[in-house]
Parts: sequence; C-alpha cells; structure tokens
Amino acid sequence: MLVRAIYLCALWSAISLLTTLVMGSRLRRSDSALSFLWLTGVILAGNFIAIFAFGRLLEIFGLSLLAFIFGLYWIIRLRDWNAPAQITWSMTLMTTGLFMVYTFLLTAFSPLNPLSFVFALIFFFLEAITLTLALAHMHESLDVVCRVRWHRLLEKLEPIPGYLPMVSLQVPAYNEPVEVVEKTLKSLAGLNYPNFEVLVVDNNTPLQATWRPLEEICRTLGPNFHCLHLDQWPGYKSGALNFAVTQTDPRAEILGIIDADYEVDPNFLNELVPAFANPQVAFVQTPQDYNDSTGDVFSESMYRGYKYFFEVSMPSRNERNAIIFAGTMGLIRKSVLEEIGGWDEWCITEDAEASLRILKKGYQSLYINRSYGSGMMPINFEGLKKQRFRWCFGGIQILKKHWEALMPWAHLVDPENKLTFAQRYYYLVGGLGWFSDVFNLLFAFFLVMGAVFNIFSSPIKIRPLTDTVLIIPAVFLCLHILRFLWVLRNRLRVSMNMAVATMYNFFSLGWVVTLACIQGLVQREGVFLRTPKGTSASKAWHAIQVTQWETAIGILCIMAGLIAFGSDRNWRTLSLCILLIWQGSLYLAAPLYSLLSLNRETALGGTVPVQVTDQGKPVLEQLAARWVVAFSMVLIGAFSLIRFLPTPAGLPDYVRFLPEDSSSAVALSPQQSAGREPGATASPVLTTAPETPEMPAPTLGATGATATVTASSANCRARPRGGAERITFLYKDQQVEIVGRSDDPGNPWWLIKIPDSNGRCWLWGMTATLNGSIEGIPITSERGTAGDSQ
Amino acid sequence: MQPNLQTEISQLLEEAGKFAQQGKREKAYRYSLKATTIAPGEPRGWYIRAQNAPSREEQLMCLSHAYTLAPDHVETKQDLRAAVHALVKQEPFLAYVYETEQFYQVRSGRDLLINVPKDRTFEVPYLKKKPGLAQPAFRWLTFALVALFLGGVGAVLFAPVAAFQALRLQASAPTDGERTRLLIVFILAVLVWLVAIPISWLLLIRFYPV
Repeated sequence: MLVRAIYLCALWSAISLLTTLVMGSRLRRSDSALSFLWLTGVILAGNFIAIFAFGRLLEIFGLSLLAFIFGLYWIIRLRDWNAPAQITWSMTLMTTGLFMVYTFLLTAFSPLNPLSFVFALIFFFLEAITLTLALAHMHESLDVVCRVRWHRLLEKLEPIPGYLPMVSLQVPAYNEPVEVVEKTLKSLAGLNYPNFEVLVVDNNTPLQATWRPLEEICRTLGPNFHCLHLDQWPGYKSGALNFAVTQTDPRAEILGIIDADYEVDPNFLNELVPAFANPQVAFVQTPQDYNDSTGDVFSESMYRGYKYFFEVSMPSRNERNAIIFAGTMGLIRKSVLEEIGGWDEWCITEDAEASLRILKKGYQSLYINRSYGSGMMPINFEGLKKQRFRWCFGGIQILKKHWEALMPWAHLVDPENKLTFAQRYYYLVGGLGWFSDVFNLLFAFFLVMGAVFNIFSSPIKIRPLTDTVLIIPAVFLCLHILRFLWVLRNRLRVSMNMAVATMYNFFSLGWVVTLACIQGLVQREGVFLRTPKGTSASKAWHAIQVTQWETAIGILCIMAGLIAFGSDRNWRTLSLCILLIWQGSLYLAAPLYSLLSLNRETALGGTVPVQVTDQGKPVLEQLAARWVVAFSMVLIGAFSLIRFLPTPAGLPDYVRFLPEDSSSAVALSPQQSAGREPGATASPVLTTAPETPEMPAPTLGATGATATVTASSANCRARPRGGAERITFLYKDQQVEIVGRSDDPGNPWWLIKIPDSNGRCWLWGMTATLNGSIEGIPITSERGTAGDSQ
Repeated sequence: MQPNLQTEISQLLEEAGKFAQQGKREKAYRYSLKATTIAPGEPRGWYIRAQNAPSREEQLMCLSHAYTLAPDHVETKQDLRAAVHALVKQEPFLAYVYETEQFYQVRSGRDLLINVPKDRTFEVPYLKKKPGLAQPAFRWLTFALVALFLGGVGAVLFAPVAAFQALRLQASAPTDGERTRLLIVFILAVLVWLVAIPISWLLLIRFYPV
C-alpha cells in the first residue's frame, strides 16, 4: 500500500509540476475556488491513471481524501501563490514525505548484516537531507515565479523632499589597477546626490606606484573625495573597512560599499537613500551587475549564474525581510553598523555575516531589484572557482558562528535575538544549501562503487534496490531539473540553450563547493583556494589542469557506467550507466567551461585586471582534496569489510515489515515487472547479482518445508534473480512446498513446487515466510519449468 | 598624587585655560606643557596642550595621550578625529601598530603614533570567544547525534551523558539564557535517546537475527 501511495503521489506531483511549468508563470491570479478546482483536477487526473494501473479503488479514494485535505491546508497557507504552485508544492511535499518513510522502512527491515545496515542508515539520512534541500529549492522557485501578490516588492523609491542625509561611500581597493579605480571614482563623481563623500580605502597594496596615483585622482575629483592607504593592516578587507568607518565624516549617516571595479549609475543615491527615512531600515541592497557578460557561452552562463541569486533568491528572501547584504551596491546605516560592532574580521564574507547580525537586532532590510551599477566578472574559470570557494567558505563560517541563533529555540536562549522564523529558515537553508554539492559527490561515489561491484560481480549489499528506489529518485531528478530550467527561463528571460548552459555553469562548480564546505568545517581561520600551477605554456592545457579533479571524477563516473553496462547488459545497469553519465557530465562541465573561458580571456585581453580576492592563508587544491580522498578510502575499506561479515543464516522475521514493493510492481504492470524483484540487486546503490553458475543439480525431493506468500502477489521465476523469465504468479497466503534454495542465505530464493503442476519455479524469499527449518533444504541452481497441469 | 602637587597642577591648568580663553596661546601652551611634564597622567593637561600646540604633529600626539587617559571625553574624541582627518588629507599613509577594544594605534607617514577611537560596540572576535557553560553538554549531544547516524548504539550511551551534563550544569548556570540552553540540551538529549533506542535495536537484531 505504501508503495502504491508513493506512486500515486508521484503521479499527482508530476502532473501538477508539469502543468505549473506550462502555466505557472502565466496565471496571475489566486483565489481559493480556482485552487480548489485545480487540486480536484490534479487528483482526479492522477486517479484516472492509477485506477487503470493499480485498481484498488478504496486505497485510491482514501489517499485522495488525505491529499485533498493536505492540499487544502497549503492552499490556505500559501494564499499569495497561484493555484498550480500551491498544488505542486503540496503534492511534492507529500511524495517526498512518503518516499522518506519508504526508504526508512527499506533500510530498517532489509536483511542486511550490521555494517551494511549502518551504511544504509547513513545513506538514508543523506537522502533525507538532500530531499529536504531539494524541497527548499522548489519552494524558492515557486515563490518567485508563481507568486501573484508581492508585499515588499519595490522597483524604485521616490525621493523625499528635504531628506538628504550624508552618505559616505567607501571604495575598498587592494592592488587594483589605477585606471579601473579611476573609472569607478569618476562614475561616483557623477552622482546626482548633493550630500556625499567618497573614501578610497587602499589596504596593504605593496607598491606605492600602485596606490599613490589614487591620492592624486581624489584630489582632482574634489574635496569630498578622500584617499586612505592602510599599511600592514590585519583583518583583510573587513579590517580596512572597519578602520575606514572611523575616518568617515562625522555627519555621515549612511555608508555605501562600492567595489573598485564598479561603474555606478548617477541615480544610485538619489533613489536609494529615501529608504532610510524609515528608522527601522538598516540596509538596502541592489543587484550586482556586470558589463562584460556577452560574447561567449562561458561569460553569458556565468553572468546568468550571478543573476540567479538576485532574480530568484533575493526577491524571495525580501518578502520575508531576510535578504543578504552583498556588500557592493548596497547602503547600510552607519549607526547600526557601529551598534553591531562593525564588520566581522574573521568571516571572509563579512557583508553577509553583518546582515544576519543586523536582522538579529530586529532591523528591517530592503531589496530594490534594479541595477544601479556594473562591475567585472572573473576573467576565467579559475577565477570563478576561487570566487565560489570564497563565498561558500564564508557561508560555512556564518553557519559555524551563528548556528544556534538559527535554531527554533534561539529566542528562548537569547531574548535579544529577534530573528523571525522565516529569517532563520532562509539563513539556515542558505548555509546548508552549499552541502548539496557534497551530497552530490557522495552519491556519485556510491554510484561508482555500485558500478565497480557490479563489474566484479561482488555480492556486497547496502540496501535492496527496489523499483521504487530506482524510479522515484529518477522522477524527482527529472522534475527538479525541469523546474530549475523553468525558473531560469522565467526569471532570467533566457533561451532554453542558455538555461541549460547556466545550469551546467552552476554544476561545474560542484567540486570546488565541496572543497570549500569541507575546508569551512575544518579550518579555524579564513583560507583561499590555490589552484594547481600550470606546468605548460599552453593555455588550453593550463585550463584543463586547473580542473584536473573535476575532469578525473567526470571521466571516472562515465567510464564506470559504460563498463558496468558493457559487462552486464540489462535495464538496471543501463539505468546505472545513465545516472553515471549524468553525474559525470556535471563534473566534466568544469573542464569544458575552463576551455571556453579561454575565449573570454582572449577577447578581453589585458583590459580586465586579474582580480585579487584572496583572503586568509592559501590552501592548495591538492591538499584540500586529500580529505575527499581519505574519506573515499575509508568508505572503500568499509565496503570491503562488509564482505567478511556473516549474513543471517535464514531470512529474519523482521523482513515482514518490509514494504511490499515487488507485489506492487506486479500489480502496476505485468509487462514492466520483469526483473524488478529487489532481492537480486542489493548493492551500495546499483548492482545486479551475477548469473548463478550452472552446477550439477542435486536430487530434490520433499523437504518438509513450505513457504507462505506474504505479498499480495508474487512472481515465480525460472531463475533465482529478478530479471529472469516469469513462470507464474502466486497470491497472498498461498502455501507452497519448498524443494530447494539458492546459495545466498542473506537474499534467499526458494525453489518451489508449483501448485497443481509438476513444474518448479523460484520464489523470492522476501515475498514469503518460511515454515519449517532451512537446514533440510538443499542448495540448488536448477532452472524452473512451468511443467504440466495436474 | 600628593595633595600639594595636585593643587599645583590644578593651578597650572586653570592658568593655561585662562590664557587660552584670552587668546594667549603661547602662554597657555607653556603652562599646559609644564602640567603634562609634572603629571603625565592628567588628561586635561594633554587636552589643553593639544589645543594650543604649535604644530599639527604635537597636537595629534597630545590628543592621542588625552584620549588614551580619558577615552569617554567627547571633545577629545571629536578633536582627535578632526586632527586625524586633516592629517590623512595631507598624507594618506597609516600603518597598523595595534588595537584595543576602544582604539587603533597607527603610525602615520610622518612616524607619529596616533590613537584613533573606534566608536563602535566591542564584539569579542569569534576565535577568542570563551566556550559557554553548556559546551560539555553540547559536545556529548554532538557525539550522540553522530552516533545516531552510525547505527544509534553510541547515541543510546552518549545521550544520557549529555542529559546528565545538562542537569549537572543547571545549578551553576549564571543567567536565565544559559539555564534555558541547558534545558534545551536536556530535552534534545532525551529526544535523541528516544530515537536511538529503536534504531539501535534495528542494528542489534542484525547480530542476533530471529
């Protein structure tokens, strides 16, 4: 029943998501009647298919009733969303919940040895966290594309007559080329706001020749331009900015951070400062934009990757007053910054960290989704990798420092913590979201191990690979990819090709995000990534070298998948192969983009400076990767150990709690059921059992043991494996005589005498209980036959 | 400080202040110089001397002294800020020397040591934060959670230790917040233990299958 419920929910979920992809962005109204009708329609459409597939009207009715109540609850809760989004969210939530219950039962009650069980349990927890993060992504996507009522959406602020507080704009610079900073300063000189100063804060630039000209430029631009060179200054950029606050004009009420390579719109201050008329508003953020975003696939997809955060995440966060202060192109109230103690000099994403402390004090934030300036993107993939490492590392630092403030009980422990539930949720999910890439690598690892064990026909088992375990995650994966492409197309207004390129741009950074997550957890202080140095004059070779780990992982995945399928061609190894090719493509996107970024490098030539964002101690990529290698070695060792642990001599009693997966597969579609019994494929993730070797058949007579079918129906096959030819069906409570058994007691198959026939066939042990002793049952590999009816 | 010395300094400062008001800056400077020489720990002396100092460098040095001795004196802070601002306008080079909770000490391009007020709430740096009272209880709770992921048996053992630690530390908790934190650790430990029981049972039955 559980399995049928999962399939039915997945059906509802797929129908509702597919309709959302078609209509979700167009339907701009939300009313309860429409949502009610939509819910009914989706449930009925799913039921229509389910009635033909499963029958079981009573079950379908009961589940529909539950789904209906659940759907109504979310219709009431999510009144600002349109009907397709409400129903998609509720159905996906329900499917995910049921699937988690199923995987737990499968983990808990499969006949595994203790070490296999521990691995299966870890795998279950990983799966649960990954699915929860996927739900969070889906929530964000639906929230921005299908929201019909925005409560805090502002395109522009109107100037308030007479309200012209002084603004101090700080331009942090480190080793920046003079011409780049000059351009920025000249754009600031063109601001049409009457009351501001600009403070160029150059920190630790070693050569006077680099920073002295800035002083001169400031002089020529007027008395409200100042220059400050800080030497041997600790705390990196935030340390310098903290000191800069002491050097601002005492009359300044608002501070602004402008990166040294930004060209700012003249209306920047005029249109943003009015937000501070509300004394509760502590900071305002606008999108960061880039002026070198066209010309090649790498630049365009990277640009869209940046835009995603400002077009999807920030508007959603803004609705709950949970935005992140992203530094440049943002304004912050000086008194609030002083109240929270300035920028954190430990955290390398000090701006995001400060915004959390500000929101903790109960202040308001505001996001204006209009670009007021543009800067420069990293010149190549190496630069992008380093930048993403820094962002992720900083995100993990924020989690380390503030995790308790984000917990549900935070306000009980600290009454001064005024974070709302939504703010805590967004900051927590934002931090944990980085770990998706860690889990993705782990899944890739499990898949590769599955393929390797399959190639060597190893009987290592972690968790039975049931149809549901194969089908539902595949459905989730497909739906989430479609959803991601849909949100990219809708919010960023890009073609399908560009959406795919942007998606791969995200995925290509999975490895570096994984490294940053691990480093964020193990390092006490900030570090920056140092990619392998080129050993060749060839730029192309260097581009490959900086992505050598991604290339190796990608090739490993694809090779493992192809060899596994080549060595044993069946639909399971084909699924394994497809999954591994998918995983491999995510990692191989890195060298591809690295090579593509050469076009950008060539096109921009010397016009773009090499941006220095290094903060903290350097950490070599090879050294950072040792954690991953060591962990993989431990896992491989533990997997190998499983082989030496004894498996249960007989089928334990507790397997009766296993969800009836095989029976449901039979009921779902007899044509599809071939090869679906899980017993034959219990492996780290995906392996099929080796062909049972032909042995001389012992003489099989009456053993005195019988088996009672516990599943509602079960296939009886010619050979003791899932893919073997089906000879007959057996039904629930049917008792059959056992004449032999397979040689694997952990995954038993009973050779039974077909009732009312002289034929014999193989029944999977998990669909029946054994009556009598296993001792007297001979091991055999005899082929089953239908026989003649008696 | 001896009473007669105190009287002498008070007189000197009074005189210096009077001359300063009369616009006789040179005399005011001489008196305040004498006062700071006799009593270098007297902030008022440094402040008056700074107001009448013949050079910007000396003014900055005196204000820095005055600020160090009386960091809450508003006028000193304001004057110091203005003086640093003027200095930076001429020579933007400042090198870091050290910092306290209240000020930075920097070295200017002209080798002057200047104290610059921070004017912001002090927050203990993350790495220097002392571990809270509940840390031992949290540590055991973390062990219990990790053990829960690894089959639950360890969690059955560690969670009660975490709960016990939380109860034990309750008595010495200095604040309500800390007491609540310990109570939460206790509740979480109980919850982890309750979840760990069936999970560890699921693990143990694999050693002795029925």
